[in-house]
Formats: sequence, structure tokens, C-alpha cells
Amino acid sequence: MIGFLILAVAAVAGAVLVVTARQPVHAALGLVGTLLSVAVAYIMLDAHFLAAIQVIVYAGAIMVLFLFVIMLLNVERQPGAVRWRWLRPVVYGVGLLGAVAVAATALLGTRPVPDRATVDAVLQGGIPERIGTVLFSEYLLAFHLVAVLLLTGVVAAVSLVQRSGDEPGTEAAAAAAQVDQGIGEPA
Amino acid sequence: MNVPTEYFVALSAVLFGLGAVGVIVRRSAILVFLSIELMLNAANLAIVAYARQWSATGGIHALEGQGAVFIVLAVAAAEVAVGLGILVAIFRYRVTTDVDQLSEVRA
Repeated sequence: MIGFLILAVAAVAGAVLVVTARQPVHAALGLVGTLLSVAVAYIMLDAHFLAAIQVIVYAGAIMVLFLFVIMLLNVERQPGAVRWRWLRPVVYGVGLLGAVAVAATALLGTRPVPDRATVDAVLQGGIPERIGTVLFSEYLLAFHLVAVLLLTGVVAAVSLVQRSGDEPGTEAAAAAAQVDQGIGEPA
Repeated sequence: MNVPTEYFVALSAVLFGLGAVGVIVRRSAILVFLSIELMLNAANLAIVAYARQWSATGGIHALEGQGAVFIVLAVAAAEVAVGLGILVAIFRYRVTTDVDQLSEVRA
């Protein structure tokens, strides 16, 4: 239980950093912390394969892509006029209220967790073999569609950042080529 | 070791709430994307937690939750690739990623 509390604090701290950090890179690093915490939660929930995938794909490939684009676009806090000044406190209030409400509802009626032996027998620690069995039987159609989706995603990403020759600017074109390489990897 | 399922769902709710707040409050489109990733992860956490709870009924169906999370991960990877591609393309035409200034998206 103490482990879960430490985990929850780490995850929420990372998430708060995502919402409040002034530097975009700090927000991205906060998200990395949350993603790793969620991976640990997966291990506690007997989903070892998903934990490994979470670290490799999410904390690895996807976050590298994010950091690439953040550094590429050089996002800074532009001193533009803030419209809807009342929005920020209202959203914080409503979000806090909603999260607390759902969390309280969940915590009020705790059901007994299935005992160790049952979980071990059914999930078997979430090993790839068991997940593969589900993936290639129940989720066969979804699996094929994901393959098509990833192919479409790669083609779309490349065609989106492709330049037609007559456009000016060389720095942006070189940068776009870098992004192309970065985007190709996680798929 | 046996943390109740509801605790994980509560953590998931808090993470999802923070992500939803981030989507609305953040002005840079990249940070809006980061918040969306946060929400996706919160949903995944809830699904995996319920998959363990469901294992009390026995059978392979308890693993369908983990299979679904695998599919969500793949879709999230594709979404990020396309989304960041769109972002770079937009940044090229208007040199900003402030969503307040991108109220109309035309090439």
C-alpha cells in the first residue's frame, strides 16, 4: 500500500508539472515521470508485458518525438493577449471537482480484490503469450486495422511535412527532414 | 501488495482530470498534445485495473482488457506521429503554435 501511495504521488506530481510548467521541456519531462509511474502501476496490476511496452513505446519513442518537435519549433511563451481570463480559474475548479468526485465515488465502495492464486492463474502476469492469444483471436480485426492505421499514419506524416520545391526557406526544410526520420521510428 | 482496484481507478480519475484541465488551459498546441497523452494513459490505467478485477470470473476474457490497452497504445503512437506532423506543417505557415491564434486552419 505504501508503494502505491508513493507511486500515486509521483504520477500526480508529473501530471501537475505537465499542466503548470512554464518550459515545454519541463512539461514533457513531467509526462515522462507520469508514464514511468503508470508502467510501475501496470506491474502491480500483473500486466508485465504492457509495462515493458509502456516504457519502450511511450516513455521511449513517443516522448523522444515530442522532445524533438518541442526543440525543433522552439516554442516559447509568446506574450500574446490572453482571451477569456476567467477561463483558467473556472477550469481548475471544475477539473478538481470532477476528479475528486470520481475518485470519491470509486473509493467509497471498494470491492475485494481477487486473491493471488486466481489472478496468477488467469492473467499469468500478463506475459506476451497470453496477450498474443487474445490479440490474435478476439482482437484479430482490430489488430489488422491498427496495422493499416500505422501505415496510413506514416504516409500522412511524411506527406504533411513534405515541401514542394518552390517554397522558400532552407532551415525549416532541413528541420522537416529530421522530423520525418523521427516520425518513422515509433511506427 | 493487493491494492484495491478502486484505488487505481481513483488515481486514473485524478490523472484524467489533470489532463482535461491541461487541454483547456494550455495555449501551446504541443502542450495540449501532451495533456491528451496524459488522458490516454489515465484511461489505460483504469482498463488494466479492471482487467485484474475481472480475472475473478476466470477465463481468457480477463485478458481482453490488456489486449485493448495494447491496441490503444498503437493508436496513440499513430496519433502522435500524424498530430506532430500537422503541428510542424501549421508552424511553417504561421510561425506560432498558440491555439488561440490558430482559430482558422487553412493552408
